Amino acid sequence: MLQIKNLTKIYDDGTVALKDVSFEVADGELLTIIGLSGSGKSTLLRCINRLIEPTSGEIWWNGVKVSHVSGEELRRVRRKIGMIFQHFNLVDRSSVLTNVLSGRLGYVNPIASILGRFPKEDVERAYANLRRVGIPDKANNRADELSGGQRQRVGIARALMQEPDLMLADEPVASLDPALAHSIMRYLQQINRDDGITVMCSLHFLDLVQQYGTRAIALNEGRLVYDGLPSGIDDERFKEIYGQEAERIG
Amino acid sequence: MKGSRKKNHPQSALRRTLRNIAVVVGVFLLYAYGVQVTNIDLRAPLDPVRQDTLLDRLRRFGRPDLLTYETETQSLNLSLRSPCPEELRQGQISGFGRSLSLTPNCTTTTQDMLTLAGEGFPPNARGIIRWHPPGDTAVARQVSSFRAGSDGRFSVNFTMPDVRVADEPQRIEVEEILGQDMAGLSNASRVTVNRIIETILMALMASTLGTIIAVPVSFIAARNLMARSGATLAGLMTALAFLPIGGWLGRQLGLALTSGAEQLSAQPMVGVGGLLAAVALFWFVGRLYVATQIADAASKKRSVASIWQPVSLAALALLALALFGQLGLPFGAWLRDSLGWFGFFGGLIVTLADIARIMLPGILMFIGALIAISLGSRYGEEINFNVTGTTARLITGAITAVGVGFTVYGFGLFLNWLYQFENLANWTTYPALIIGGATGLLATLVEPRREMPAGLAIYYLMRGTLNTLRSIEPLVLGFVFVVWVGIGPFAGMLALMVHSIADLGKLFSEQVENIAEGPLEAVTATGANRVQTIVFAVIPQIIPPFIAFSFYRWDINVRMSTLIGFVGGGGIGLVLQQNINLLLYRQASVMIIAIAITVAILDYVSSELRNRLI
Repeated sequence: MLQIKNLTKIYDDGTVALKDVSFEVADGELLTIIGLSGSGKSTLLRCINRLIEPTSGEIWWNGVKVSHVSGEELRRVRRKIGMIFQHFNLVDRSSVLTNVLSGRLGYVNPIASILGRFPKEDVERAYANLRRVGIPDKANNRADELSGGQRQRVGIARALMQEPDLMLADEPVASLDPALAHSIMRYLQQINRDDGITVMCSLHFLDLVQQYGTRAIALNEGRLVYDGLPSGIDDERFKEIYGQEAERIG
Repeated sequence: MKGSRKKNHPQSALRRTLRNIAVVVGVFLLYAYGVQVTNIDLRAPLDPVRQDTLLDRLRRFGRPDLLTYETETQSLNLSLRSPCPEELRQGQISGFGRSLSLTPNCTTTTQDMLTLAGEGFPPNARGIIRWHPPGDTAVARQVSSFRAGSDGRFSVNFTMPDVRVADEPQRIEVEEILGQDMAGLSNASRVTVNRIIETILMALMASTLGTIIAVPVSFIAARNLMARSGATLAGLMTALAFLPIGGWLGRQLGLALTSGAEQLSAQPMVGVGGLLAAVALFWFVGRLYVATQIADAASKKRSVASIWQPVSLAALALLALALFGQLGLPFGAWLRDSLGWFGFFGGLIVTLADIARIMLPGILMFIGALIAISLGSRYGEEINFNVTGTTARLITGAITAVGVGFTVYGFGLFLNWLYQFENLANWTTYPALIIGGATGLLATLVEPRREMPAGLAIYYLMRGTLNTLRSIEPLVLGFVFVVWVGIGPFAGMLALMVHSIADLGKLFSEQVENIAEGPLEAVTATGANRVQTIVFAVIPQIIPPFIAFSFYRWDINVRMSTLIGFVGGGGIGLVLQQNINLLLYRQASVMIIAIAITVAILDYVSSELRNRLI
């Protein structure tokens, strides 16, 4: 169970990215987040694993006050929260296997990992996860040799290495064509249903939200403007979220 | 809006014209003054005397002394009187079937024209005419040369470069070159080859050591890595207060280790046994450490093994280093004497042992200070978790007073080392008390939990240091190191190394600042710690440019080392400068050609490598 209480983020330049946002996410949900670019979706997701420091408010996750932990404890929280990104964020010059194995860094002995040594079961787990996302033969390729869809699958495999309880997905399909977008969304759905991992996913297209989400929230200029079922977003709601001049395209 | 703009228009046009005129006048004045300051004077280069001198030097530069020739010669000698007697006479001599005549066979001034005629030479024979001034030690000087026609005759006119009045006759030697064969590289060429190798290796050492030090420096000088870390005032100041204690403890440990190792090595067998045992144990515990850590990876609790193993590993490594410092010296010396041609390998071991022995207390002082800083900041931070309000403010103030006081005291000690004050307390104790107390009071005004941008402060400090060092030319650094370690390539290497650290540190840190942030974000999100993040997300991105820049630096260092030699920094520059000072332009020419070739080759190689890597 994830609880966000009165979360506010004001950047150093004065931009108010999140304003008093409160909501809860139950275990096992596939929560979709919609909103215009710059409405605070990325900031919200990054506050949860503290890639961005919230200005005020609290984040509770399974009884841990995530917003106020630090050091070793913060790393222990982070390793149970997987994350995938719009631009995949792979290390281009490293091999696919190394990229996937880096998902274990929160678990393994730091010195052994710096020397490039991972436990055998972790290497096996990496191959298993690459099989799961359908690219077992790419393990020894350099990450920048892969296509966009394959790169996002490596991103998913890396996040799965963390054995996460929560998966954050920051516009995971915005850089992909519609066919690939559906394939990536199906992987997220599968992770959510089969592994019971809670997923929070920000999306641009309403049809993806309505097809895959079990619940939807919407942000507008940092404020929570909708919280309910994806099917509840009708044309009128849509204009509230995206502004009066917006037209639905998907 | 529009109206007001129209109204302003004429005025602004006038202003623009005036401004343009001012700019033109300003630029004119600037260049006029520039011409005066730089002493531009076309009469100087057109002066015939200067032009003659220049031509003479250029001719000699144009004939580099690359090769020596084995020549077979035979000489005929004529006598010359100085000054001339009242009646001018002709000198004659015959030999080897040749005959020569010198008219007149005397000279009074350097303007007197002498004519040497010869016949009976083989067709196209050539040779040199030399004057042997009076006195045993005087060196013969070439006054002219000759070349016979197809009929075996020649006639040359020449004047004497100098007139030495003497009673006895002076000798004019006519040396005929019978045959000439190439014998190999001239002395200047051989010196040049040796010195070019020295130069290249000097540049290589400077670039390698510079790179090794510049890599960690560049991480500290990278804004994107440093801006993330901050600490509360209490944490920072505790670190500052702990720093000298940690440094002192480390140094004491280093000194104790060194003297302990010295005693152990008094009996060579014990020393060698200790060294081997330390290395073997290190290997054994190291394997155990990696293995147990991997097995324990899943459990959260810190096991006993996870503490004693790294501690004993560090202790064993230090012991081995200290013993090597003692034993390496005699062992290396023995190797140097017994290996013959490969003796320099023994020399390397001697040098490494020297470094280990001399640097050990320093290294431990540095490590001790680092541990103290990390412990200090951690415990200092914890104060803010446990107390709040006025108590927290008071504690922060007290810690700040101590931290700042220590720092001021240390700076006073440094100044005293430099200037040797009469009353030490005036420079250490009193300012430490006053400044420490004042900042302590000020610190109580600061919100105790506020994060201070400590990382950013260190970043600016590092950047400032690098920029200052970089602005000091290697030539100036060369002067400093020549004073410190004496004339020779070591001084030059140190000068180039310091400049390389500053330059590469900046270039590297810019590469670190330019890396893609995404992977860094992703690896951080997995729960990796700072070092893991750097190893997995930063280093793969920066290795190619780092290698490329290191090669480029080698190329630069070779070019710079020619200059460093001019101030005594060894390498080819030293001999080049000596040759120019001795007016040996033909020898200097060889060296300039060698530098040009070396730089061209390295430039090509380094640009090829960079193209392949980036």
